[in-house]
Amino acid sequence: MTTLTVNGTEYPLDLADPRVTLLDALRDRLDLTGTKKGCDQGACGACTVLSDGRRILACLTLAAQCDGREITTIEGLESHPMQDAFVRHDAFQCGYCTSGQIMSAVALLGENRAGTDADIREYMSGNLCRCGAYSNIVAAVREVARNA
Amino acid sequence: MTTIQQPRILGAGVNRVDGPLKVTGQARYPNDFNLPGMAYAAVVRSTIPSGRIRRMDTTAAEKSPGVLEVITHENADHLGEAPPSFVKNPQPPLQDDVIRFYGQYIAVVVADTQQNATAAARRIEVEYDRHEALLDPHDPRAERIKDPWGEDTAWGDVRTALNRAPVMIDQTYTTSENTNNPLGLFTTVASWDGDTLTLHDSNQWPNMIQQVVAAMFGVPRDAVRVLTPFVGGGFGAGLRCWSHIPLAVMAARHVGRPVKLELTRPEMFTGLGHRTASINWIRLGATRDGRLTAIEHESLTTLPLDGDEYEPCSSVSTWSYASPNVTTRDQQVRLNIPWTNFMRAPGDAQGNFALESAIDELAWEVGLDPLEIRLLNYAEVDPKTGRPWSSNALRQCLEVGARRFGWSERNPEIRSMRDGHELVGYGVAGVSFFWYQQPCSARVIVKGDGSAYVRSAVTDIGTGTYTIMAQLAAGLLGLEVDQVEMQLGDSSMPVGTAAGGSGLTAALGSAVHDACGRLIQKFVDLAGTDPFSPLANVPFEDIEVSEGRLFRKGEPTRGESLARILAVHGLTELSADGNSTPNSPEQLGMTPAGARGARFVEVRVDEDLGRIRVARIVTVNDGGRILNEKLARSQILGGTVGGVGMALFEETVTDKDTGRIANATFGDYLIPVNADIPDVHIEFVGEPDAFNPIGVKGVGEIGLVGVAPAIANGIFHATGKRIRALPITMDMLMD
Repeated sequence: MTTLTVNGTEYPLDLADPRVTLLDALRDRLDLTGTKKGCDQGACGACTVLSDGRRILACLTLAAQCDGREITTIEGLESHPMQDAFVRHDAFQCGYCTSGQIMSAVALLGENRAGTDADIREYMSGNLCRCGAYSNIVAAVREVARNA
Repeated sequence: MTTIQQPRILGAGVNRVDGPLKVTGQARYPNDFNLPGMAYAAVVRSTIPSGRIRRMDTTAAEKSPGVLEVITHENADHLGEAPPSFVKNPQPPLQDDVIRFYGQYIAVVVADTQQNATAAARRIEVEYDRHEALLDPHDPRAERIKDPWGEDTAWGDVRTALNRAPVMIDQTYTTSENTNNPLGLFTTVASWDGDTLTLHDSNQWPNMIQQVVAAMFGVPRDAVRVLTPFVGGGFGAGLRCWSHIPLAVMAARHVGRPVKLELTRPEMFTGLGHRTASINWIRLGATRDGRLTAIEHESLTTLPLDGDEYEPCSSVSTWSYASPNVTTRDQQVRLNIPWTNFMRAPGDAQGNFALESAIDELAWEVGLDPLEIRLLNYAEVDPKTGRPWSSNALRQCLEVGARRFGWSERNPEIRSMRDGHELVGYGVAGVSFFWYQQPCSARVIVKGDGSAYVRSAVTDIGTGTYTIMAQLAAGLLGLEVDQVEMQLGDSSMPVGTAAGGSGLTAALGSAVHDACGRLIQKFVDLAGTDPFSPLANVPFEDIEVSEGRLFRKGEPTRGESLARILAVHGLTELSADGNSTPNSPEQLGMTPAGARGARFVEVRVDEDLGRIRVARIVTVNDGGRILNEKLARSQILGGTVGGVGMALFEETVTDKDTGRIANATFGDYLIPVNADIPDVHIEFVGEPDAFNPIGVKGVGEIGLVGVAPAIANGIFHATGKRIRALPITMDMLMD
């Protein structure tokens, strides 16, 4: 039995199948579907979550590896200013990459990598947005970083 | 009540009404639905491009842990044919042993978990009789289809005009296959309850999916309910009923449980179609001062063996610029390839790259500024029919864009601008986008508290339909935006058209406009039956709406609230249905013009390495009436990013021996990332369009068009190298 701690709640999880990724555990077993699957190959960033405050790709992380870690997903953010900034700057369209973008952006603030637009662009480049909202994402992150 | 009232609600930068759901992870996409007892499906795809299945061994898969069912062509249900739609839909899967392309579905495995289904699918062994495949568009054995849509066009005498032209451009421009790649993995969750079926499905047109699935499974249309309130993007990928959908439905019927079939990213490349590669031959004839005398444009695009596709690349040459002599011809060639399909600005994106590159070449040939040559050849009227445009601000797009960009600071010589080791180039392109609209319907309901809701079966694929339709209905009913609830993405709602062709805003907006008009009429009629109503005997034409009240024009106190009218008559709600059909150009005596635009880009090319960087982009567009500038800007921004991808990164590479797509992952198929996109200045010009009652022209696709030629033209200015093939990669710029 593995214990997943997600958004402060402990979930005992029977992981007889070691192939289960953190992403599939969140989505299929805990019904926390806010974290998205865009490629399942670590290339798009849609599944970005925080593990002990660091951003990781849930599709490249086995659930069994997460015993003892604090996982934070989009459902665990409590009215973070980044969410409001994403709405006001229209930093998404279809919304599918948005959870991953926001988790990445929130982590970015803690990494002190949101100082310049060039930094924001660079360090948000692991999160693909096929709708192409990039400039608005930069605007949202910039605003929150400056007010932080 | 036929005009749009409360203009303050329109045009304003209202935030996306579905935004709060999307930033909290609460918007539920098709693959977010986990139903009780749900099983998981995994598909098996062919590994040859052409031939027959000789033998399949499913024994190991069937014995694999958790497996509930393995379906191949040997035990698949016989399904009915896909009915004719706006476009052809793939015929039902697993009906025979014939392989038509690499990646075709040949089996589906259903298991208790996704992991078990995926593992079992890999245990199916297949032997094939391989046939020689047609993979090269120039293969003489491949079927060629001339004038596929009866849209080949000719006026004047192009031959003679070209022979007599003092200046001629004669070039070939090619574009690569691109793959839509919406970020949301297309998913079908199929659930049977007796003979009724519910689908949570990724698509852009729920009523079309409903129709096709009902026909295939031999059930009445209203026995199938397709739910798509949210979808993780489409860009055209959701405009057909792809084969994984009936596979999921069949699997659910076999196992007697709900089944989720979620495509993987590599399966998204073969299973949903892609933008065709194109070859465009263009010949321009012109006077020495750069006035066009002839345009000849031919295109060749590709088709799968058993599909169709509307991709008239040459059409742009019939409406973009004025020319007394024009000939356009399109051809398609059938190959053993996955389906070609619509992708943001089909035909237009490729044709515009060719035409705008050729126009640029002509400008250099005659020594004219590339901006000036476009203004010189502006089409004051529809060059084909001579009819006036419904609106056309192309000239303004070019002039405003040039000012914002600082075009006048451009040194006209090639290789003349430089910043350190980077060569700097300025490029421009004009865009004249196609017009498209289909019939659509909507229902508008006012509730007892005076608030309203609007229903239509259409989807909002991220364009902002929820928001702008709420604004439109609010404006027409005299309500605030937050008093209007939008309900979309359910095939059981009033029949809706596709979220495609940049045509939904005009189609649904006109239907909402119609419904609101009828609803106000009903309220006025109702009030008229009440002799005590201040609205009694007020003719409909004299009615105005504001703040939830109807009142006599010019007499705001002589009126009654919607809520009160309902209460007086003991009603809990009042509704009206609205429909829209496109107007007739002949009757209106005008040619409907799609959106217009201009692109200005600054490119920088590393002189030693050939590395290309887009430094800034100015994009100015005429979208008619803009219902919500914030969201419209996002459409243009997204299109611009797609255009940068088409110009510099995107190429679906097919192995010429096996027909296998060799780069079907996000690690190998490159799309722009955040750091690839520079500052983008977006501006709208123009007036409300005269062709539909709400004055809109769709802006969902135009943003992409023209970016690639502007970049190519900028690269020529920077380096002196004319690149006529997309994507433009650094190897093309190294000496």
